[in-house]
Amino acid sequence: MSDQDKDPVLHSSLSKHLFIWSALLVISMVWGLWDEMYGIRPWKSYEARFEKLYSKYLATAKTGQAATERQIKGSPEYQRLDREMQAAEKAAIPEASAIDKEVNESLVPKILALNDPFQVTRAHIGSLTYEIEVSTSDSRKDSLRQEIQKLKDEVQKIQLPGPGEEPRSMKFDDMAKLLQDMKDKKAALLQKRVDVMKKATELRAGRDQYLSDRLADASTDTIAAVENSLANFDIRIRQIHVKDVDLVDRCESCHLGAREPVVLTKAAMGGEAVFTSHPSKELLKIHDPEKFGCTPCHGGNGAALSSVEKAHGYNKYWLWPMHHKENIDAGCQQCHVKEIVTEMADTLNAGREIFRLRGCRGCHRYEGFDREADEIASVNQQIRQFEQQKAEWLREAGFKEQKANNPRTSDADAKKLNAEANDLKVRSTGLDAKMEQLDMRSHELVREVKKIGPSLKEVRVKLRKEWVPIWLQDPHKWREGTKMPTFRLDADEIRAIGAFIWQSGVQGELPQQKPGDPEKGKEAFETRGCMACHSMGEGNQKQGGTFAANLSREGEKANYDYLVRWVHNPRQRTAPYCTFEKKDLTKADYDKHNLPYVFDLEHSRCPNDGHELQVQQMTPMPSLRLTEDEARDIASYLMTRKGTNASYANADYLDDPNLRNAGLAKVRFYGCAACHEISGLEEEQRIGTELTKEGSKPLERLDFALLGHEAEREGWYTHKGFFEHKLENPAVYDQGKEKARQDRLKMPNFNLSKAEIDAVTTFLEGSVDASVPPKYFYQPADQRQDIIDGWWVVRKYNCMGCHRVHTAQTTIFDTLTKYQDPDWKDQKPPTLIGEGARVRPDWLMRFLGNPALSENDTNRDGVRQYLKVRMPTFSFSDGELRKLVRFFEALSSQSQPFIAEQLDPLSDQERGMARSLFSSEGAPCLKCHMTGDAQHDARATAPNFTVARERLKPGWTKRWMLNPAMMSPGTAMPSGLFRHEENRWVFAGPTPSSFSGYPKDHADLLVRYMFQFTPDELNRLRSSAGSSGN
Amino acid sequence: MKKILIGIGLACVLSLAGCGGGGAPETAKKLEPTAPAAGGGAAAVPDEANGATITGKVTFDGAKPAGKAIDMSANPVCMRAHASSPQKPEDVVVNDNGTLKYTFVWIKSGLPDQNWQVATTPVSLDQNGCMYSPHMIGVMAGQPIAIKNSDPTNHNIHPQPSTNQEWNESQAPGSADKNQSFARQEVMIPVKCNIHPWMRAYIGVVAHPFFAVTGSDGTFTIKGLPPGTYTIEAWHEKYGTSDQTITVGAKESKTQDFSFKG
Amino acid sequence: MDLHQLWTILSTPDNVPIVLLLFVVPFYTWYGLRQAFANDKLIAQLESDPAMAKTHHRKIQPFKPGWTREVHVWPYLLRIEFLAAIIVTVILMVWSITLNAPLEEPSNPTLTMNPSKAPWYFLGLQEMLVYFDPWMAGVVMPSLIIVGLMVIPYIDTNPLGNGYYTLKQRKFSILTFIFGFIVLWVSMIVIGTLIRGPGWMWFWPGTTWDHNRLIFEVNRDLPDIFGISGRVGKIIFGAMVVGLYLAAAGVLMHKLITKTAFNRKIYARMSVLQYVVMQTFLIVMLALPVKILIRLMFRIKYIWVTPWFNI
Repeated sequence: MSDQDKDPVLHSSLSKHLFIWSALLVISMVWGLWDEMYGIRPWKSYEARFEKLYSKYLATAKTGQAATERQIKGSPEYQRLDREMQAAEKAAIPEASAIDKEVNESLVPKILALNDPFQVTRAHIGSLTYEIEVSTSDSRKDSLRQEIQKLKDEVQKIQLPGPGEEPRSMKFDDMAKLLQDMKDKKAALLQKRVDVMKKATELRAGRDQYLSDRLADASTDTIAAVENSLANFDIRIRQIHVKDVDLVDRCESCHLGAREPVVLTKAAMGGEAVFTSHPSKELLKIHDPEKFGCTPCHGGNGAALSSVEKAHGYNKYWLWPMHHKENIDAGCQQCHVKEIVTEMADTLNAGREIFRLRGCRGCHRYEGFDREADEIASVNQQIRQFEQQKAEWLREAGFKEQKANNPRTSDADAKKLNAEANDLKVRSTGLDAKMEQLDMRSHELVREVKKIGPSLKEVRVKLRKEWVPIWLQDPHKWREGTKMPTFRLDADEIRAIGAFIWQSGVQGELPQQKPGDPEKGKEAFETRGCMACHSMGEGNQKQGGTFAANLSREGEKANYDYLVRWVHNPRQRTAPYCTFEKKDLTKADYDKHNLPYVFDLEHSRCPNDGHELQVQQMTPMPSLRLTEDEARDIASYLMTRKGTNASYANADYLDDPNLRNAGLAKVRFYGCAACHEISGLEEEQRIGTELTKEGSKPLERLDFALLGHEAEREGWYTHKGFFEHKLENPAVYDQGKEKARQDRLKMPNFNLSKAEIDAVTTFLEGSVDASVPPKYFYQPADQRQDIIDGWWVVRKYNCMGCHRVHTAQTTIFDTLTKYQDPDWKDQKPPTLIGEGARVRPDWLMRFLGNPALSENDTNRDGVRQYLKVRMPTFSFSDGELRKLVRFFEALSSQSQPFIAEQLDPLSDQERGMARSLFSSEGAPCLKCHMTGDAQHDARATAPNFTVARERLKPGWTKRWMLNPAMMSPGTAMPSGLFRHEENRWVFAGPTPSSFSGYPKDHADLLVRYMFQFTPDELNRLRSSAGSSGN
Repeated sequence: MKKILIGIGLACVLSLAGCGGGGAPETAKKLEPTAPAAGGGAAAVPDEANGATITGKVTFDGAKPAGKAIDMSANPVCMRAHASSPQKPEDVVVNDNGTLKYTFVWIKSGLPDQNWQVATTPVSLDQNGCMYSPHMIGVMAGQPIAIKNSDPTNHNIHPQPSTNQEWNESQAPGSADKNQSFARQEVMIPVKCNIHPWMRAYIGVVAHPFFAVTGSDGTFTIKGLPPGTYTIEAWHEKYGTSDQTITVGAKESKTQDFSFKG
Repeated sequence: MDLHQLWTILSTPDNVPIVLLLFVVPFYTWYGLRQAFANDKLIAQLESDPAMAKTHHRKIQPFKPGWTREVHVWPYLLRIEFLAAIIVTVILMVWSITLNAPLEEPSNPTLTMNPSKAPWYFLGLQEMLVYFDPWMAGVVMPSLIIVGLMVIPYIDTNPLGNGYYTLKQRKFSILTFIFGFIVLWVSMIVIGTLIRGPGWMWFWPGTTWDHNRLIFEVNRDLPDIFGISGRVGKIIFGAMVVGLYLAAAGVLMHKLITKTAFNRKIYARMSVLQYVVMQTFLIVMLALPVKILIRLMFRIKYIWVTPWFNI
C-alpha cells in the first residue's frame, strides 16, 4: 500500500514522543532530587567547607602553639616547678601505691565476698518487715517477727578471700558489723592517699597554671580536643532552641565558628568572614546564646536556611531584617530600653545621647526620655491615690468604732473592731509619711526639669536685636555644629517668628557692669573648666566640649551685662515663673503680698498661691562659684570673641506688634517651645510623632512619598533606609510633592554627620516591640538599677566632660592641647573610677551639694584647692544627689547603707613613728599633699590629709598607697612606696630609727595615722618637717 | 500534526512555568588578602665601616636667654645641693659657641623596613641635686634605661608618653637603680618628678640606632647609615622641630646643620 | 514602560496560572473548534454520499478502503493517554521545583495589603464588584452562573449534537458559552490579575503600580444624572430603565435566535419554558457587559437605586 493509504491510527508510532517525554520525566525527577538535597540546603556546603578550613587552620595553629609551649616548658621556672612536682610525686608514690595495694587486693575482694550473703539476708528481712507493717492481725505480726529473728540468728559460713583467712561462721549482725568496718577502713585509706598525694597534686596544678598563664591563645590540649570533635564532624542543622520563647535559631549551621574555643579570624578561615568567631566573647558570656539565641539581638530569620538573603531576613516580607554592621547595637535597645548608657554599646549610647542632647525628644516623645515630666505626673497621681486611700481608711475606722460602741455587739467583737480601727488609723499615718516624701519630691522636680535650648524669655536682656533674624536664617551657618537645627523658613516667617520671640521676652533691668580684663578672662575660661562643655575656635581650630555652645562669636550676639550675670550664676532668672498660674511673676505680684521681690531656691513659693516656682533658668549649666570680677573678666573675654565681618542689618521690625500673632502661629507650628522656654507656651504639646516603637512600625506606614519606587530599586526601602535619608535631609520626602507651606514636613535639619546618623539610626532601629518576652528585659532589682538611674544624671550634667566615670572613656581635658603639657597633666580633674570605693557616701553627698565644702568661703574647691579647674555647684535636687551617690556606690558595689570601718587607735609610740616617717626625706607625702601653708599649697598636687578621715574609706586608702598606678594610670601619686616583706607591707625607702623592730604593717600604720589626722597634728608635722630639712 | 501542536502548547507551558524560579544559592566566598608579614626579618646592625655618616651642629641665633634660677626652697635638701651656685633651668642651654645643647636629632623616615638590633647597654638617667642628668637622652625601643637616685631624698620618676605605657615609680634615696625600657618609638617622652615639679628630662625612643643628642659643643654625629634619602629631624623642647631631607651614598659623610631662632 | 513592574506581576507564583490561561484557553478553544469543523465537514460529505456512509465507520477520518472497521482502545487510545499522563507529570514536577508557595509576612489586622486580591479563580467575581453592588456581584450573579451552566443541557436538547465535537448542531450553545466563559469570565480574571493595581485602579500592563496615584472619576447614579431626587422617583425611574433594557434585550435575543433557518428549527422545537429560561439567562448574561460598558464609558454607578438592592 502507498503511504497515504496507511491507517494513521494503526501505523503511526508514538515511540519517539514517549521516549522524549520519559527522558524529560527522568531528568525532572533527578532535578527534583538534587534540589531537595542541595538546591534548597546551601548550608550543607558551608558545613563541609568549614570542616576543611577549620582542620587546616588547627593544624597550623597547633604547630605554632606547640612551639611556644615548648619554649615555656623549656624555661627554668617551669623546669623548676616540674622538678619539684616530680620529686614530690616520687616521694609520695610508694606510700600511695602501698595504700592502693591494700585497698584493691585485700579490702575490696573481701567486701565483695561478704556483701552477697549479707545482701540476700537483708533483702529477705526487708520484705518480712514490710509484711509486718501491712499485716493486720497481731498473731501474724508476731510470727513474722519470729521469722526475722530466725533469719538473724541463722549462722552462715563465710570464706573471705586473701591469705590467712579461714572460713568463719557469722550471724547477720556480725556480718553487718564486719562489712561496715571494712568499708570505713577503705574510706580512711583512700582519704589518707589523697593527703599523701596532696603536695604533688598541688604542685602539678601550680605547674599547669604557670603554663596556661603564659599561653595567650588556646593551648595544644584544647586544640587537640577540638580536632577530636572535628574528626566526627557531621553535616546536620545546628540550631539553638529556646523553649519558653519558642525561638529557633539555625544561624550556627553556617556560622560554625561563632562559639569555637579557638579564636577564628577571617584570614585564618581562608578569608571567609562567615566562619569567624563572635567578636566579643564577653558579650556572649553575659548573653548566653543557649538562653538568648542569635536573632533577638542581631535580627534576621533564625529558622531560614534556604539562602543567605533569606536567613539574614533581607528578603521582602521578613519584618525583622538583620542589623547591619554600623547599626549592630540596635539589638541591645529592645531589652536595655531603660538606659541612657549601656556598656559595650557605644554607637547606641551615642544615638541616645544625640536624641537627648540635640533635642529630638523635644518634639518626639520617647518613653523614658522626659523623666522629670513623667515623674512629676506619677508623683502627683500617687499623692492623690494616697489621699483617697487615707480618707477611705479613716472612714472605715469610724464605722468600725461605731459598730464597736453599739451595745448589741459582744465584748469580744467590740475589742476586735476597736483593734482593727486603731490599726487603720496607724496605717493611715504611714500614708502621711509617704505623702510627705512625695510632696518634697514634687517640689524638687520643678527644679530638675531642664530645657534643651536657652530660655527665650531672656532675649531682650540677653541678645542684640539685629542678630536674631540672622540666627533664625541658618544657625549652622552662623555657628557650625550648634544644637539649634536649621528650619525651612522664608523671609516673612523669620520676621514674624523673630518679632514674636522678641516681644514675648520679659522686661527686666540689669545692673551696669564695669568692664573686666579679657586676658585674665581667657585664662580663666580655659582653665576653670568652661571648655569641658563649651568649645572655642572654628574649623580645625575648634577646642573643647560639644555638650554646650561654641562661643567663638559670642561677642556678636550677647549683651555684656547679661553675660556677666550668666557667667556668675547661670541659673539666675529675670522673673520667676509660677507653674500653677502659668505666668511669669512681676514685682507687682510680690508687692501685693508686701513681700520683697526675691526668688531663689530658699524663696521658691509663689506669693499668690504658694505653689512651687520655677526660680532657676532651666539650664544644666552650673555655677563655678566665681567672684564678680572673674565673671566680668570671662564675660569681657567672650565679648571679644567676634567673627571677622560681623555686621548686622537693622532689625527694628522685631518691635512691630502686627507681626506678633503671625509669629505666635509660626512658633507653635514649628514647635519652638519644645526646646526653649517661651512666655505663654510653657505647656506646649509635642508636635512630632512618638518614636518609642518606631523601629517596628509597619514599613507601609513610613511615608516614602514619591521616593518609594526609587527606594525599592536602590534597596533602601527599609526602616534603616528611611531613617538615614530622613536624618540626612529631613525634607527629603517632600521631593517632587506639590504641597502648601503648612503641609510641608516640619522637621528641621540637624546637619548630622554620617557617624551621628548611624548612631541615631541604630537607636531608632532598636526601638521596637521587643520580640522577646518581658522577662528578658534588663530590669535589675538590685544595685544595678542605681547604675541605670545614675547614668541619666551623669549624662544630664555632662560629668564625663571633666571626669573619667568609667574605663575606656576620654574626657574633654584629654583632648585640649593645653593639657598635653606635662605640667598641666596634673591639672586635670580627678578620675571617678572606683569613686564609690574611695569616698564615704555621706561625704560625697555633702561635696556634691556644696563642692566648696564651706558656707562662707565658696570661691574654692573643697578638696583640691590647687587645681585651676573647679568642681562647679550644680545645685542638684536631693533626688539627684541620692541618685548620684547610689550610682557611685553601686559602680564599685559598696553595700548600703554605709557603715564606717573601725580602725584600732594609734598608740603614742605609733603616732610618733608615723609622724617621723611622714616628715622624713624618704617619705615625700607632704611635698605634694597640701598642708594648709599657702605658699606650699600653691605648688601642691594632692589633697590635704585633714580631709581624709571624713572623706575616704580606710581600705581604699591602703590599696591606693600600695599601687596607685593600678587604680588611675598616670596619677601624680608614685607607685612602689611599699614593698612586700613576709606577708606585710613595709616602707620601701629608709625608715626612721624608731621603726626598727616594729612588727606591724607600715601601710596600715600610715592609714590609721591619716584617719586620726587633725589640723594641729598637721602643724606639728609641718614644723618637724621644716626642722628635718636643715 | 496534532502531536506537534500539543508539543508547542506544552513548550509554552514549560517556558512559563520556568518563570519566578528561585535563584541558585549563593555562597559568601570572598578571598581577602591576608595580612602582610612584618617587614625585616633578622635584626640588622648599622654597618659602621661602609655606612654613611651625617654630622652637623645645631646653631641658635638670638639672645642667649638668661634663665632665672630654679626656686628649690620647698625642699631644703635640694637647696643644699646647689648652695654654691643656684641651678638654672635646662630647657634652653646655649653653649658658648652659640650652639644649642640638648637637641635631639634623629632619622625620621627613609630607612628600609627592617628590624634593628636593639642595643643592650643601659643608658643611665641620674637624679642628682634634684635635677635629671642628663636632661635629655636617646634610646632604642626596648633598650634598658638605668635610673639611679644619687640624692639623699626621695624622687619619683614619672614619664608621660602618649603611645607607650605610662608609669610613675618612687625611688627612695640609696635604693637600687631602676631598669626600665619603652617598647615603642616615641619622640619625645617628657619625664617629670611630682615631688620636685621643676625636674624635667626628655627621652627620645627610636626604633633604630640612628639618633643623637647635641652636647656642650652643639654637634651631633649619626654613623653607619645605609645609603639612601632620609628625612632628618631636630627636636628641641622649646623651639619645636625642624626637618631636612638629605641623600647619602655608601661610605659618604655629609654635614647637615640645623638652626633654631630664639 | 516599567518592565520590572511587568515582570514582578507576571512572575508572581500566584499569577502564573493566569498567564497560562492567556495561552492555553484560546489554544484549546481553537483546537476544539477545529475538530468540530472537521466533523461537520465529514458529516456533510457522508450525507451527500449514502453509499460511502454505509461502509464508513470512523467519524473523524475520510473513508479509505481496507481500513479496519474498529480500532482497539488498547493500545491505540491508552498509549496516547499514557503519553499525556507523562507530560502532565513532567509539567507538575518542574512547576513544583521552580515555583515556591507565595508566602508573605504574618498577617497584621491593622494593616491591609494594597491591592488586596482574591485567589485568582475568584478574581472575576472581585472584578464584578466594581460594576455591581456586592449583593448582585457576590451572591446573585454567581448563583445565576452556576444555575445557568446546569440549565444548558435542558435548553439545547438537540440529540444530533451528542457524542462528538460539532459546531453545526450546537452553534448557539457553543457561541453562548464562549461568550460567557472566555469573553466575560476569563477576561475579567485577567483584568483583575494583571491590570488592577493599588486602590483597584486600572493600570495598563507596563505602567508602574504607584501607591500615590490619584485619579479623578466621579461615578453617579443614572437617576441623579437625570436630576431625579427622592427615593420613590429613583425607584420608579430605575425600574423603568431596567424594564426597557429587558424588553430591548429580549427582542434582540429573539432576533438572534430566529436568524438562521437552523436556529428557527431549534426554536420551533423548544417549549415555552425552555425558551423563557433561556431568554432570562441570556438577558442577564448580556447585562454584565452592558453594565461594564455603561460604567466605563459613561461613569454611571447604578441604574436602579432602591433601599434593598442596586442595579
